[in-house]
Amino acid sequence: MLSKLTTSAQTRQWPGHIPVEYVYTAGIAGEAFLRALKDRGMLLTSQCPQCQTVYLPARLYCEQCFEETKQYEEIAPKGWVHTYTVAHVDIDGEALAVPQIYAFIRFGGTNGGLIHRLGQTQPHQVSIGMEVEALLLPGKERTGSINDITCFQPTK
Amino acid sequence: MSERMAIVGLGYADIRSCTPGISYKELMYEAATRAYDDAGINPRKQVDSFISVSEDFWEGTSIFDEYVPDQLGAALRPVHTVCGDGLQALSCAAMLIETGQAQIVAVEGHSKHSDMCTPHHIHQLAFDPIYHRPLGAHPQHLAGLEMARFLHESENTREHCGLVVQKNRRNALKNPRSVYGSDLSLQDILDAEPTFTPMGVLDAAQPADGAFVVVVAAERRAKALSTHPVWIRGYGWCTETPAVDSRSWGEAAYARLAAHQAYRMAKITAPARELDFAEVDDSFSYKELQHLEALDICPQGAAGAWLQAGITQTGGEFPVNVSGGSLGVGYFLEASGLMRLTEAVLQLRGQAGAVQLPAVRRGLVQSWRNLPTTTGCVVILERADGRE
Repeated sequence: MLSKLTTSAQTRQWPGHIPVEYVYTAGIAGEAFLRALKDRGMLLTSQCPQCQTVYLPARLYCEQCFEETKQYEEIAPKGWVHTYTVAHVDIDGEALAVPQIYAFIRFGGTNGGLIHRLGQTQPHQVSIGMEVEALLLPGKERTGSINDITCFQPTK
Repeated sequence: MSERMAIVGLGYADIRSCTPGISYKELMYEAATRAYDDAGINPRKQVDSFISVSEDFWEGTSIFDEYVPDQLGAALRPVHTVCGDGLQALSCAAMLIETGQAQIVAVEGHSKHSDMCTPHHIHQLAFDPIYHRPLGAHPQHLAGLEMARFLHESENTREHCGLVVQKNRRNALKNPRSVYGSDLSLQDILDAEPTFTPMGVLDAAQPADGAFVVVVAAERRAKALSTHPVWIRGYGWCTETPAVDSRSWGEAAYARLAAHQAYRMAKITAPARELDFAEVDDSFSYKELQHLEALDICPQGAAGAWLQAGITQTGGEFPVNVSGGSLGVGYFLEASGLMRLTEAVLQLRGQAGAVQLPAVRRGLVQSWRNLPTTTGCVVILERADGRE
C-alpha cells in the first residue's frame, strides 16, 4: 500500500447492531427431557441399545454407534461434582460482586451430566466428588428450561 | 502422501491489539500481497484455488465467504471458505493438490477482534442454546471447569500452568510479530486477578488483530518457485463432540486423534525424537500442557515437569512455542493456527530472527478452535531438502 492513515482523527467507524433472535427447538428427546424436568422435577436419560451408553440429557441417537437410543428413564436430580470453577467475572467482563460457582455434575448410572450453578455453599466448601442435588423452582414457576433448576446444592 | 507439496509463500500483516486505521479487507490484502511477493507469483494467473477461514459471527457479516475474493486476488476464480481453524484450511489446500485439482493454493486467515464491541456475548452464541447458554455465564467458565478437571486428573499443577504463561510471554519479548511479550515472575501470574478458578486473568491468551496468508504448491511448482520450500509431511484434524455431557474433560482427545492421522502420514513413531520443536495451542495456559501430552510429545502427566526441567524452554531439548504462542503473540480467532504455522515456517526457513532455533529440520504445528469446541488440527513440516 502506498500510504496509510497516520492520525487517529482520520479513522472512521460505523457502529452496527445485529438483532439476533431465534427460537431453538429442543427436538424429540430434548422436549421429553425438559417436560420431565418441568412436570416432575426429574432428569430424563436415554440408552443406546448397542453400546449401552446412557445419555443425560436424553438424546435421540448415540454418537458412538449412530443408533437410535431406546429405554428412556427418569432419574432423581442427584449427583456429584465432576469439576467446578469459581467465576469472578460476568459476561461483560465486569467483576461479579459475589463470585458464582459453576460445576459439571455427573449422575449415577449415566455417562452424561450437566453444567450448572452451585449454590447454598461457599467456594472453599466445594470439592470434586462432592454430592449435590438440584434446587428446583416451585412447580408452577417452571417453564421447561434448564433454569427450572435454580442451582445444585450440597446434598442434605 | 501421494503428492509432495510445500509452503512457498508467507505473508502477515498488522499484528497488534487494535487496528482502527485499516479495514478487514485491507488487512487481508496486505498479508496476501506479501505472501504472493514472497512466493514470486501473480495471484491472478498462477493461484489455482483460494481458501479463507472465517466465522460469520466473528465477522459481523452473514455469508461472509462472499466477501473474501477481491482482496485475495480471487475474483472469478475457485474460492471457498472454511468455517474452522486455519490449519483445517491448509488441510483442504493439501487435498486440492493431492487430488490434482490445483497446483498452487492460497490459504488466508485473519482476526479483526478489535471490531467486536461485545465479544463475550458473540462468543456465548457458540454454546448450546438449550442446556448451556441459558446459564448466562462468560464463555471462559468452560475453560475454568476444564482446567480444574485436567489438574485433578494429571500430575500437572497450578504452578506448572503459571510457568507456561511465564515462558511464552518471555519468548514473545524477542518476537517482533507479537503483542503481549512481558517478563513476569511466577508469583505475578499466580497472584493475578482470579477469573475462573483455578484460572487467573493471565492464564488466558488475549486477543489480537492480524492477517496471515500462506501459499502452498505441488512439488514440481514448489521447486521451481522457491529456494526454501517447507514441505508438508502430514496433516490431520478431528472433532470430538460439541456436547459437554459426553466429551473427555481431562484430556484433549481431538489433538491425540489428529496427531495420529498426521504422524501416520509423516511416518513418525516417536514424536519427541523425530521432531525438533512444536508450536501448539496455548489459548489457555493449561492447554499447552494438555496438548503436549495428547500429541504424545511427552508422557501423560509429565508436561509440567518437562517445562520445569527446561526441556520445552527455548534452549531446551524440545522447545515449545518459541514464538510466544497465543499467550505471548496473541489470539487470532480462526487465524490462530496460521499464526503458529507462520512461526514454524519461519523457523524452518531460518528466518525467525531473534527467536530462531539452531539446526531445526522438522516441526509440528497444532491448533484448537477455542471454546467451546473440541476441534483440533495437526500439521508436520520439514525444511527444504537442500538444507538436509
